[in-house]
Amino acid sequence: MKKLIVVAAAGLVTLAGCSQSGEVADRPLRVGMEAAYAPFNWTQKDSANGAVQIEGGGWAGGYDVQMAKRVAEDLGRSVVVVKTSWDGLIPALQADKIDLIVAGMTPTAERKEAIDFSDPYYTSDIVIVVKKDSKWTSAKSLADFKGAKITAQISTIHYDQFLGQIPGVDKQTALPDFPTMILAVKSGKIDGYISERPGALSAVASNPDLAFVSFAEGQGFNYSEADTSIAVGLKKGSDLLADVNTALAKVSDADRQELMKQAVEDQPASDTNSLPADAGDWSFWGWIGYVVATYWPWLAQGVGVTMLLALTGTVVGMALGLGIGVVRTLPSDRHSAGPVKRAALKLVNALLAIYVEVFRGTPMMVQAMVVYYGLGMAFGINLDVITAGLLVVSINTGAYMAEIVRGGIESVDPGQTEAAKAVGMGHWATMRGVILPQAIRNILPATGNEFVINIKDTSVLMVIGTSELFFEGRTIDGILYQTFPVYLLVAAIYLVLTFSTTRLLRLFERRLDGPDSFVLATSSTTPESILRPGGGNYAGRTR
Amino acid sequence: MPAEPVEPPAVAAAADAAEAAALAAADVAADAAGPPPSDAQDAPVVETRGLAKSFGENEILRGIDFAVRPGEVVSVIGASGSGKSTFLRCVNLLEWPSAGEVLYHGRNVLERGYDVAGYRTKLGMVFQQFNLFNNLNVLDNCVIGQVRAAGRPKAEARERALGYLAKVGMERHVDAKPRQLSGGQKQRVAIARALSMEPEALLFDEPTSALDPEMVGEVLSVMGELAESGLTMVVVTHEMAFARDVSDRVAFMDGGVIAESGPAAEIFAHPAQARTQEFLARFHAG
Repeated sequence: MKKLIVVAAAGLVTLAGCSQSGEVADRPLRVGMEAAYAPFNWTQKDSANGAVQIEGGGWAGGYDVQMAKRVAEDLGRSVVVVKTSWDGLIPALQADKIDLIVAGMTPTAERKEAIDFSDPYYTSDIVIVVKKDSKWTSAKSLADFKGAKITAQISTIHYDQFLGQIPGVDKQTALPDFPTMILAVKSGKIDGYISERPGALSAVASNPDLAFVSFAEGQGFNYSEADTSIAVGLKKGSDLLADVNTALAKVSDADRQELMKQAVEDQPASDTNSLPADAGDWSFWGWIGYVVATYWPWLAQGVGVTMLLALTGTVVGMALGLGIGVVRTLPSDRHSAGPVKRAALKLVNALLAIYVEVFRGTPMMVQAMVVYYGLGMAFGINLDVITAGLLVVSINTGAYMAEIVRGGIESVDPGQTEAAKAVGMGHWATMRGVILPQAIRNILPATGNEFVINIKDTSVLMVIGTSELFFEGRTIDGILYQTFPVYLLVAAIYLVLTFSTTRLLRLFERRLDGPDSFVLATSSTTPESILRPGGGNYAGRTR
Repeated sequence: MPAEPVEPPAVAAAADAAEAAALAAADVAADAAGPPPSDAQDAPVVETRGLAKSFGENEILRGIDFAVRPGEVVSVIGASGSGKSTFLRCVNLLEWPSAGEVLYHGRNVLERGYDVAGYRTKLGMVFQQFNLFNNLNVLDNCVIGQVRAAGRPKAEARERALGYLAKVGMERHVDAKPRQLSGGQKQRVAIARALSMEPEALLFDEPTSALDPEMVGEVLSVMGELAESGLTMVVVTHEMAFARDVSDRVAFMDGGVIAESGPAAEIFAHPAQARTQEFLARFHAG
């Protein structure tokens, strides 16, 4: 108990210490991208082809990465990629998690409201990716896609403006990223998705059963050059803007085309990448074997981070819950507390109730966004993703544990408290010596349950880029585009983790309870004088 | 072997100076097992005046005047629902009285700022449902209060606990958990737990009512020995034989008041009031 509190306190101190963000001077340039949008950016497992290290593990390659490297070189700074989901890029920039967005992002009017953009560093045309053996490959104009099930990436002008230009299109729900859309086309869930040419080029390169349809002048989408160009995103008023533009201007059009060509060739899962030559013929199990053999360090790291989050969250959460439980059961009746103490107790209890309700009543995913980005934007507190993850899981679990502990305390026979009071023990002594030991035993199953839930639910922390198991699985999928084998493997690992945890906890509970059958203490050791049948050696006092 | 404790137990117990001052009068009479000092013979240890207790609209106690003197054994009898247990629980403030006074050596313990916890260490309580601490073994049940409430050193507390466990015949079961004990054994441990605090008086709340019949005897036997040793006791009970044979005085409660009280032999032989006669007639018939 005392140890738990010390650990929790140490954790808080550490958190406070992390909130200092270093001075800009010699820090590497932090570049945000999805690292899952080949050929602009992707994740790979080594430094081949001039890849840049990703914060927290892995390497990023692609056209964006090469451009980012040139900009950083020109600024005289080193560069690191901060892998961020598409939706999280602008918030990350605003919260100073990253210095630049170099992610194939088009400078739309809406985005310009939120952030600044450099001059374009690539301009493309808009195409539709379809299945090679479908009737859509022969389409020549947008009108030919009448009745086709088409979609595009969420929060892009592809979806918001271009999709509606196809006459009679069967508009599908927007999807989160390109691997998902590729899978959707391959599985026949949709007929096609809208993409810029480079993205389509690389999709086709890694998926021979796909093709893309481009349109002659006047037959395709209606857009301005600005709509299809991509630019570097910077925080409003950033003093880096001029330097970035200068750096970009030094890369000629010819160089840009060359870099894009190279990127399409280098991208993962295309013929030139590191996959063995016979990969095309692999069975399902072949892929599983390859993923395990090649990416086990990533998976192992994911398991490590997931377990760290789940264990810390549960332990700190339990400490929080116990503390809150003890405070909430403090006697506040008129005889045990003066008016000031009672008012203070009332206030503290109200605050605790708010804490519990807020953190139980909102999704952990939302809490993660608020803590990670919100604290940065509102207070300039910048936590790294692991710290933010630990913080979110701990306070979230604490809210649940507070209720569980309350139930555990209430389930202890009130006679126990009365007996402790009757010998003159105070609230704290009663709690520590009598009630909590029994309450903790009562809540062990529920706590184990929280632990298992945490193992699974920390997967939502991938929204802020915490490199737990699900995040690693997504990354590997982003490289190999082998969604089914990769996620099935991830699911199996989760199952092993939760199942073995459950078993271990059950074993621990049984150890704690001692043997099921116990020997009743017999009366044979009791002195005869006490056990006289018929009751009572009080004859001496009869009169 | 550690040296024998040189200071008297009551001084060791009163670790807190304020508490020591508040309980200064108590220290004189602290040795419960010894004969009460003659000059305190008639001053009550605990006394209630006009004690009343309501739960909402429900009036349970309607003004009780009661006193127990050092060395006295008082049985409180009466029908179920007459308020016996509530009265006892009001005496050690497990229930807070609605009106009236509870005096400990003449001081009203209901006053704001009175050290209620310290008062309770001087007044042992034995419950109908035993209420042994389920997470602790027999010995620790008898040690925890001495250490955490009375501030005694652990070694000394163990020594005393072992002594009182021997007194109730449970010294061989010090390592057993409550769930391993029979009802009668539990109640004997509960008595040892209360004795270990070395209180000035012991309150018994129907100590045998939850026991199987064959276990009632062992508990009553222990209580009889305690009574004989001169311990001050207030016993709420349905055991009429015990009330008659062991008590110095019997108080008969009915409808939230003490209807009649007096020497045990007198109450049982010649009850003055009709309702007492009626109640005792049932006992004699049963």
